[in-house]
Amino acid sequence: MKSLRTLLFLLLAFFCVSASPCVFGETVSAPAPALKSDTLRDPLLDLANETIAENNSDAVAETQQAAQPAKKKVSLPKILKDLGKGFLVSVAIFFLTLFFALPLGLLIAFGRMSKFAPVNWLFRLYISVMRGTPLMLQLLVWYFAPYYIFGVNLGKLSFCGIEFRFTAVIIGFSLNYAAYFAEIYRAGIEAIPRGQYEAASVLGYTKSQTFLRIVLPQVIKRIIPPVTNETITLVKDTSLAFSLSVLEMFTVAKQIASAQTTMIPFVVAGVFYYIFNFIVAFGMEQLEKKLNYYR
Amino acid sequence: MLTKFFQTLCCAVIGVTFLFLFTACGEKETASAPVRTFTVGFDAEFPPYGYRDEKTGEYVGLDLDLAREVAKRNNWQFVAKPINWDAKDMELNSGAIDCIWNGFTINGREEAYTWTEPYVDNSQVVLVLKDSGIAKLADLAGKTVAVQTDTPVKKALEAGGKQEALGKTFKQLKVTPNYNNAIMELESGGVDAVALDIGVAIDKLKSGKFAMLSEVVITEKYGVGFKKGNTELRDQVQKTFKEMVADGTAAKISGKYFKGKNIIILK
Repeated sequence: MKSLRTLLFLLLAFFCVSASPCVFGETVSAPAPALKSDTLRDPLLDLANETIAENNSDAVAETQQAAQPAKKKVSLPKILKDLGKGFLVSVAIFFLTLFFALPLGLLIAFGRMSKFAPVNWLFRLYISVMRGTPLMLQLLVWYFAPYYIFGVNLGKLSFCGIEFRFTAVIIGFSLNYAAYFAEIYRAGIEAIPRGQYEAASVLGYTKSQTFLRIVLPQVIKRIIPPVTNETITLVKDTSLAFSLSVLEMFTVAKQIASAQTTMIPFVVAGVFYYIFNFIVAFGMEQLEKKLNYYR
Repeated sequence: MLTKFFQTLCCAVIGVTFLFLFTACGEKETASAPVRTFTVGFDAEFPPYGYRDEKTGEYVGLDLDLAREVAKRNNWQFVAKPINWDAKDMELNSGAIDCIWNGFTINGREEAYTWTEPYVDNSQVVLVLKDSGIAKLADLAGKTVAVQTDTPVKKALEAGGKQEALGKTFKQLKVTPNYNNAIMELESGGVDAVALDIGVAIDKLKSGKFAMLSEVVITEKYGVGFKKGNTELRDQVQKTFKEMVADGTAAKISGKYFKGKNIIILK
């Protein structure tokens, strides 16, 4: 735990050091030329000239004074609060996606392993398309399909008070991640030796009993590392929700960064993601230890 | 033990979903019994036309404040919806937003949307770093210039655009998803110059790190874009906007973001 804390502190220190020039750095140089305007119209050009003049006079004043603090103070607690709100959305996307994708993945794995050829091919096609196309593209399809295929006005569409955007995000994420989980489940299930199935049938277990009581617990134990991988990828993929204009944490970080011309929101967002991923990885590790009752 | 894990997972899911349902997903402002919602789609990284206020976290800016006032006068419920600029047409056509009001240039897009009359005269200018030694458009030859995707200045500098010859002299015309990325690249030295709207450039000039070239790339006009054919809403918004110009409200809002200057040209 101590070494972990040191590592976290070093990471944070590294980010702060690399971001500080953006907040405190000011360069002083030659005055900028004024803008020419060839028509009478432009109050914007006047304003630009005024701003340049201001900058020039500031530059002169700076050379006469000692090192100054930054002109604009970036409020860290405010950034934390704003990003925290966006973080809740990211977390909601994360949990809901897992909630739907984990069971769905199992069903798709069964379909994929089916001996009935059309079913087998159908699910193979599903997995191939879901894994083979970008998630961002899939999100756009799920969100705009009701309009472009059925002509439904998206402004009026919502489910139980939740914006349709968010529903489309969950649908897109769940279907995409279910395909990845399906392959992981399949790897786990096919790794169980045939001998166990034979022993189970000799002992009188039915097919479903064999699966639920004997095969599935072992499969779960085996697939925890690859599932942890996918889960961590999911945490970071939640930022793709921006393509449907859902306000999750990274979008908020970008908005604050451009309104205040600072890098700090990105640093904070990075820390949020890292801490969340760390908790997820830690939780999965504990789960693995608990299920390791044969060692 | 496994069932306990799933139980905790379910509780977590339900808990987080409820938490999320109670936090805002967009900015909604209500009047008394509004007639309809007025959803404005905008790029939330476009100060001073539309951006996130650092103190309140609300979406403010010249265009959003104008839209807010229009909605108030018509007793509509105003919703400020930040959108992904690449998907703006899909959002508008599908009805997810009612209009795009965001320093939206009319030139080159005249047939694609139903427009109000132009309300701002805009120039596209070039920002460079203060000590770059670039002073004229001709100095950009052999340099890397960044523009935002799907903007008129990008079209002007590409093949077939008004400033195609200038664009050809560049070493590379880099396209970024939004202005902020382009500014970050400029600051870090990834590109030599950024071509963008003068309103945004002025906002960035305040930081003191940049200089603006005295020559402009192109000039153009801003309008409010509605779905092609949506003349009813456009007419109502335009009527209210003109009233705001006549009684001085528009000038006041413009002054708030542009140091007292009125940049609205709508009559």
